[in-house]
Amino acid sequence: MVRWLVGRVVSGAVLVVLASSTALVLTRLAPGDVTTQLGPFASRAEIERTRERFGLDRPVPVEWAVWVSRAVRLDFGTSFLYNRPVSGLLGRAAANTGLLATLSLGVATVLGVVLGLLTGSRPRGWLPALVRAASILLLSLPPLLTSLLLVFVASRTGWAPPGGMTSVGAADADWLAWAADVAWHLPVPAMALALPLAASFERLQAQALADGRDAPFLTAARARGVGPRVLLLRHAWPVSLRPLCAAYGMAVGALLSGSFVVEFVTAWPGLGRLMYEALRARDVYLVAGCAAAGAFFLALGTLLGDVLLAAVDPRAREGLDA
Amino acid sequence: MSLPIRPARLIGPLVTLLLLAGAFLYVRAGRSTVAPTGTGPVRGGQLVSSIRAEPRTFNRAVSQDQITDLLNTLTQGRLVRVNRASFELEPWLAERWESSPNGRQHTLHLRKGVTWSDGSPFTSADVLFSLRVAANPKFVLASSLTVGGEPMRGAAPDAETVVVTFAAPSGIGIRLLDQLPILPKHKLEAAFVAGTFESAWNTQVVPADVVGTGPFVLREYRPGERVVLDRNPRYWRKDAAGQPLPYLDRLVLDIVPDQNAELLRLQSGAVDLTQDALRPEDFVTVRRSEDQGALTRFELGVATDADAFWFCLKPEAKKQDRRFAFVRLPAFRQALSHAVDREAFAQNVFLGEAVPVWGPITPGNRQWFTPNLPRYPPDARRALELLKELGLEDRDGNGVVEAADGTEARFTVLVQRGIAASERGAAFLREAAATIGVALDIVPLESGVVIQRMLACDYDAVYMRVLTTSLDPAGNLDMWLSSGSAHFWNLSQRTPATEWEQRIDTLMLEQAATLDQARRRDLFNDVQRILAENLPVLYFAAPRMYAAHTPRVRGVVPSVLRPPILWNADSLSVAGGAGAAKP
Repeated sequence: MVRWLVGRVVSGAVLVVLASSTALVLTRLAPGDVTTQLGPFASRAEIERTRERFGLDRPVPVEWAVWVSRAVRLDFGTSFLYNRPVSGLLGRAAANTGLLATLSLGVATVLGVVLGLLTGSRPRGWLPALVRAASILLLSLPPLLTSLLLVFVASRTGWAPPGGMTSVGAADADWLAWAADVAWHLPVPAMALALPLAASFERLQAQALADGRDAPFLTAARARGVGPRVLLLRHAWPVSLRPLCAAYGMAVGALLSGSFVVEFVTAWPGLGRLMYEALRARDVYLVAGCAAAGAFFLALGTLLGDVLLAAVDPRAREGLDA
Repeated sequence: MSLPIRPARLIGPLVTLLLLAGAFLYVRAGRSTVAPTGTGPVRGGQLVSSIRAEPRTFNRAVSQDQITDLLNTLTQGRLVRVNRASFELEPWLAERWESSPNGRQHTLHLRKGVTWSDGSPFTSADVLFSLRVAANPKFVLASSLTVGGEPMRGAAPDAETVVVTFAAPSGIGIRLLDQLPILPKHKLEAAFVAGTFESAWNTQVVPADVVGTGPFVLREYRPGERVVLDRNPRYWRKDAAGQPLPYLDRLVLDIVPDQNAELLRLQSGAVDLTQDALRPEDFVTVRRSEDQGALTRFELGVATDADAFWFCLKPEAKKQDRRFAFVRLPAFRQALSHAVDREAFAQNVFLGEAVPVWGPITPGNRQWFTPNLPRYPPDARRALELLKELGLEDRDGNGVVEAADGTEARFTVLVQRGIAASERGAAFLREAAATIGVALDIVPLESGVVIQRMLACDYDAVYMRVLTTSLDPAGNLDMWLSSGSAHFWNLSQRTPATEWEQRIDTLMLEQAATLDQARRRDLFNDVQRILAENLPVLYFAAPRMYAAHTPRVRGVVPSVLRPPILWNADSLSVAGGAGAAKP
């Protein structure tokens, strides 16, 4: 178990280094750099000064080596776009994304699993059919459209703020009022993230439950006179969680590394939006920092998924102990 | 196996939930915004505007991006102001001035009793410090605030007088000082001397350290969220009735990067106004909101810049390319101009909200626009005649004209990706050019890549809007002069590549140094005519610009220049004043 955990931590660290290094090198090699932000007709001297200031006048391998040597001390360089250290920006954005991701994941899990139990255990009937249709619709809608639709509904009805994370003046209020204000801003981005994910969980849960319906152990339990509620919740459900847990790790990783579409449209100041803005501006150190944070969360998410899988499936536990 | 909960049992809770949700939405929708009462300015309240990007610094002397410029307008003063609506020069921190007959020396008398937002007195020492910063080639102002290639020099006979001396006579005169941010010496001189000026007012600065003489002071910047500005209680301006300005207690700049979300927030009243003009494709939506009384739409005027199409005309970059043997001849570009019906262009690309143009100066620039330029009416037959005179005909019947050696008139056109009007314009141009046998292949690219390739002359042709930095042509010498870094069809020439560029150089240098405004106008009309005859750049239409705000905003004086509404922020107010402050 410990060996497995150490192995996962090491592979996670390798993933972080590889992802951030690749992001840094590709951003440097791609046409255009951060100096294009100075405008089409910036003077040559200004361009050269900016390149020198951000170390872009060095060869790519040298720049990479310097960056890595600083990054191990959590100094990811300075962002051109924000004119401040990348690490500070990452911390704040990661916290915002973490909050949004946790809520979205919670909503998606509860909705997805409960509805999946409903549609998987009772394939016929109008309610399961309605849930299935809604899931397919949500899965087929692109995130941009879902986000815009929710922003549209929020702005038309006023049921929640259409964007942003806090109201003006929230920072002056006490922490309870601030937390309430953040909570008031959460529904739109959280629903934009949670609904497609819930649909995906619902489909996985329903399919897994339906696949195992005729399993011998369930037939045996039924023959022993186990009631339908216990049969479903104590026998069928734990076994059906395996595919869900496998997908969960990826979902956690993807959510924590930020959805740039949702964060961009709903003006949520998270990692996804930071990455998008960094890429647009060719802000090389911010891109690399965001990639490192994204890879870290992806590794964390897959680890969490594996732990969950081990918790629900003895076969997976055996694999870890071996 | 079945779920122990029967679906029918869920109907009751579901209906209850729906009813509750409906009641909640009804109550929320019933909350109306404060109805405008009267039309005069009202003190107090807050105004929320959206911006699309983050501020990079609060120091205009080290960055010239739009957000920094906006924040500078809101928090800092200037010696004189060019009124963005009338284009007239107005006294600002300098209440009056005299100029020497040769136009090189200007004596400015500073307004008495003005203080910085922290209470320190504003004096001529601050102006001299600002001139020192502007003269430093390390910072962005150095390239734009020069006369005759030299920075302005300043002297201060006393605390309330500044003498600014130009190295050469300048037609722009002290209008140039509108671009000079006046910075607090007592706050920034130490950083300037220590070489840390660039980071002195970066986005991590303590807000109270950003002192200014503008109508607002920085209260808070939350990356990714907003910039909050409070009323500067020490602001020097008063309205006609003697009331201190600004009227607003607070101005909030919400950062909304997506333009669609920005429009939705404007429609819902979550923001009162935006910093960008409306896109043509948004007109219908906004008109509907206007009909419902949720928005007020108004015309800013005709844009002062038009989309431009040009070929790379740098001879050394294209000497191996046989196509450019005919591209370099004005007749080829004239033929292309004849192929484009500008009225139809305005109709298709800008949905009718544009005016045809024949040069870079549009009717929006009232002072320098001339309608008397050579024009190339839509005439495919004339275009084909011109091409034939150049030896270009469709010899193989494939719809594309070629020279006798088989060189086809086929070009790749770079366009900035994601700008719908640009992509529509390029597509229209492709169709128009095809009617005379010139093939244009459109390649949308990220704007950074377009700029990089443009600077390296690594392109056939580009279609994009090039924003000029000044309405006065003498402020855009970098574009007009062949040696200029913004002479975009052939950048930074050592000697003029053509005889007509040589003529433009001579005329523009004279125009920039002439003090007689009528003479300046005549000279510049000649320049525009030469450009229209030789067509290094083709212009087609300038859009009419519209903006919108919520009905509670008062005192709006629209400007076609940026910022279109907030340039006049000290005179804006909101209906209901303090009572109208949004949650």
